[in-house]
Amino acid sequence: MTENPYQPWIVTIDEIRNEVIGERAIKTFKLVFQDEEVKKNFTFLPGQCIMVSLFGSGECFFAISSSPTQKGYIEASVMKLGKVTSALHECEVGDTLGVRGPYGNHFDVDGWKNKNLLFIGGGIGQAPLRALINYAIDNREKYNKLDIIYGARTTGDLCYKEELADLEKREDSDVHLSIDVEEEGWNHYVGFVPDNLTRFDPSPENTIAITCGPPIMIKFVMQNLLKLGFSEDQIFTTLEMRMKCGIGFCGRCNIGNLYVCKDGPVFSYNQLKNLQGDM
Amino acid sequence: MVNQEQLVDAVKKTVSREDVKYVVGYEKGTYGCEVTPSFAHSSEEAEKFIFTPLCVHNLAIYPKLEEKLPLGRDEKEDTRKIGLVVKGCDSRAVVQIIQEKGLKREDVVLIGIPCTGVVNPKKLKSRYPNYAEIVEIEEKDSSFSIKFNEENHTIPKEELLFDACINCEYPNPPIYDILIGEEIKSTNKETYEKVKVVESKSQKEKWAYWEEHFQRCIRCYACRDACPLCYCKECMVDQLDPRWVRRSVNLSENTAWNIMRALHLAGRCVGCSECERVCPMDIPLTELNKKLEKNIMEIYDYIPGISEEAKPLLGTFKPDDPEEFIL
Amino acid sequence: MDSFVLLKKTLPTFIEKLSDEYDVFAPTRKDNIFEYKLISKPSDINLDFVNSRLPPKSILLQQTETLFKFKPGRKGKILPKEISEDKKIIFAIRPCDAKSFSILDTVFDSDFKDPLYLSKRENSVLIGLSCNNPGVNCFCTSFGDSPTSSKFVDILFTDIGEKFFVETISDKGKKLVEKITDLFEKATEEDKNLKDSAEKEAIDTIKRNMKLEGVVEKLDEIFESQLWHSIAMKCIGCGTCTFLCPTCHCFDMQDEATLKEGARIRVWDSCMYSEYTMHASGHNPRPARMNRVRNRVYHKFSYFPKNSEYTACTGCGRCIEFCPVNIDIIDVIAKVREVKV
Repeated sequence: MTENPYQPWIVTIDEIRNEVIGERAIKTFKLVFQDEEVKKNFTFLPGQCIMVSLFGSGECFFAISSSPTQKGYIEASVMKLGKVTSALHECEVGDTLGVRGPYGNHFDVDGWKNKNLLFIGGGIGQAPLRALINYAIDNREKYNKLDIIYGARTTGDLCYKEELADLEKREDSDVHLSIDVEEEGWNHYVGFVPDNLTRFDPSPENTIAITCGPPIMIKFVMQNLLKLGFSEDQIFTTLEMRMKCGIGFCGRCNIGNLYVCKDGPVFSYNQLKNLQGDM
Repeated sequence: MVNQEQLVDAVKKTVSREDVKYVVGYEKGTYGCEVTPSFAHSSEEAEKFIFTPLCVHNLAIYPKLEEKLPLGRDEKEDTRKIGLVVKGCDSRAVVQIIQEKGLKREDVVLIGIPCTGVVNPKKLKSRYPNYAEIVEIEEKDSSFSIKFNEENHTIPKEELLFDACINCEYPNPPIYDILIGEEIKSTNKETYEKVKVVESKSQKEKWAYWEEHFQRCIRCYACRDACPLCYCKECMVDQLDPRWVRRSVNLSENTAWNIMRALHLAGRCVGCSECERVCPMDIPLTELNKKLEKNIMEIYDYIPGISEEAKPLLGTFKPDDPEEFIL
Repeated sequence: MDSFVLLKKTLPTFIEKLSDEYDVFAPTRKDNIFEYKLISKPSDINLDFVNSRLPPKSILLQQTETLFKFKPGRKGKILPKEISEDKKIIFAIRPCDAKSFSILDTVFDSDFKDPLYLSKRENSVLIGLSCNNPGVNCFCTSFGDSPTSSKFVDILFTDIGEKFFVETISDKGKKLVEKITDLFEKATEEDKNLKDSAEKEAIDTIKRNMKLEGVVEKLDEIFESQLWHSIAMKCIGCGTCTFLCPTCHCFDMQDEATLKEGARIRVWDSCMYSEYTMHASGHNPRPARMNRVRNRVYHKFSYFPKNSEYTACTGCGRCIEFCPVNIDIIDVIAKVREVKV
């Protein structure tokens, strides 16, 4: 019992991509474990999370935004919001960070075999979805149709633009983008994500819908999915809470008797519906 | 001794006003002679209001603590007044908050109680370890009469009062809308006895004295949460960036917290002793507050929470302000 | 279970013997506060107490604890922490507080293991002291426990006048007594009778009672009840209830560093604070005291029983005695039972 679960592994920042710049800046950090053994043995599934820390600033919980099929590194997309994320945004390639995990449950990648996957993301909420999207692309024969509904406040707030453009080009996946307010040169939908979903009117048949975004968006997306005929066990979301330990001890991320860090972050609508708690 | 009937009548009258939401007062607690804050939304609920020597809580805290429920689509915010039962120091706290523009006078209706001092529950508990078996505690002239285990005990008042009550110069609420009973004519003079004891110590002894107390602090911040004048939206101690006081609980950080808390109340603290009462680790916070009160008095000849019109002392500058303490 | 007696006048020798091998924590008194402290000599101990102000959880789950040290900054390094295997005795722990460790075990020894707590737990021997004179707000009997319960300790002492009646419960306890067996005498039938009557008297002293029947189910039905608003109205959000609770274990983690060195620490936190759940985005799932008061009650009386075999309350009465506004958990649970669905 000498293993200290609070002690992270050391990673090097291999690459930093600016997803969004400005006030609500988002960067994606590509992280490589320094220890070769860890690098080789670190396994996870889409939906799982890690604790990333900058020594002296603190630790934050992030969804892994890369797919386990992308070997040798992991990625986390970080929005500059609080003390730790602001400090992370100051970091440069070659800097060292701490990483522990992977934590939490994951999307049911095997159970959803041969199904259509419908992704509904908003803003930085696309990060955990991206892990599954990339996983599905790399295991393309495993799944049927891929539809990605994604929106942000402005064009500048959209993440993973190049990847989305690639997905749009592919014949076996469709992307439906939106921004909240009209902008010059924008030829996709203008309006909120839940409305874009209704407009797209996807068929619930043999489909799993996975959504992540701001709490209010998730709420309306789920309502609209139900209206579109999706059943309660076809709808999944991944949640976030303020967390400290990530392993079920520190207490703060509970919704009812479940802890988002270890019993989540992936929940089905069915689970959430029966869960009383503050979200 | 407060007339129960008069109190309940005043509360009923207040709560029946159309422009009043509810009245905060005291009711009997869940065991022994315990008292608990009570909220009357109707005349019926006013029936349970009491005033005993254990009505220690400074209810001036509640208007700032009020939580507004999320409004429905057609609902309007309820901006009606809050009624408060206030003793001398409680009313002074309201005055101080009004001075600082934390509340407007018209936000509250004050039911004033001329106060002859309240019991320090900690003193009572150390005298009666089985204090919950005390059924009743009543004020009789200069003593308290206590019904305990079917016996009647008479204890001189000063043995059970809060230190701050013993020489309280302001037993009457400086502002009120209804007064229960008559104003008290007081000739009390604060003597700062305990403060003087610490003042007479050497620098080293003073540190040792306070270190012993601060060492115990568990940094629960109950002192802050019970204080009617600690109403900052975000307390400096909760700020993450910069971190003024570290989270670690040790002598150094505890000292920083306790000194900063006291200094933030300089020229504002009305001496109600709530911080000391709620401290689970029995730190004598009143002594710190009283020291600052004494200094403020000596340097500026100023007493907090007396006049609504006065300007907050440390928020104003006068060209002739004494500045001997500036190095 | 074996029964012995230890003469009270032999207690100092017993403590000295223990101190040879163990760090001995025992109740000490400063003014009106009793606290479990590492003692340097038997005379530091004061047993004239109902219970300690802070629960002895502070020994196994220290208020501030270093998780590991590091060299701070963007080229940071980890300096691993050695997990202490020091042997400890918690002497004269009350049965209720001893139970709190069994409750905390279900948290720290679950899907993940917390070696900082568990190593201290495994290296500690709990020597209980029966509560012959329970306090006014004690209600351990409501949970089917007794002020003289030996269920959660390794050894139980009961004051029977001139002597302590000593029961060795666990293997840990038996081994400890075996090593210094010459200090003890075999208990007689009379000693046993004295213990039994002390127990009966202690149980009779407990006046307060929490009725738990149906509470878990009831709580499922009244999450949206107005009750939580009315309780929260008087709550001042001070967190005293959580700090003094033997089963509350929530903590914050922070990096504290100078330019050259730093440590990641954990420190007790409280679910009664709004910052506790505040997201960096400004969204707060528990924005009001109503949410926080409710969560505290649910955590103890609904979530814990759903996730483990325990209700996270031992009936120690600290939160009742020290709540500045008399929010009384016995009263709260009684009101829960009264709410009409």
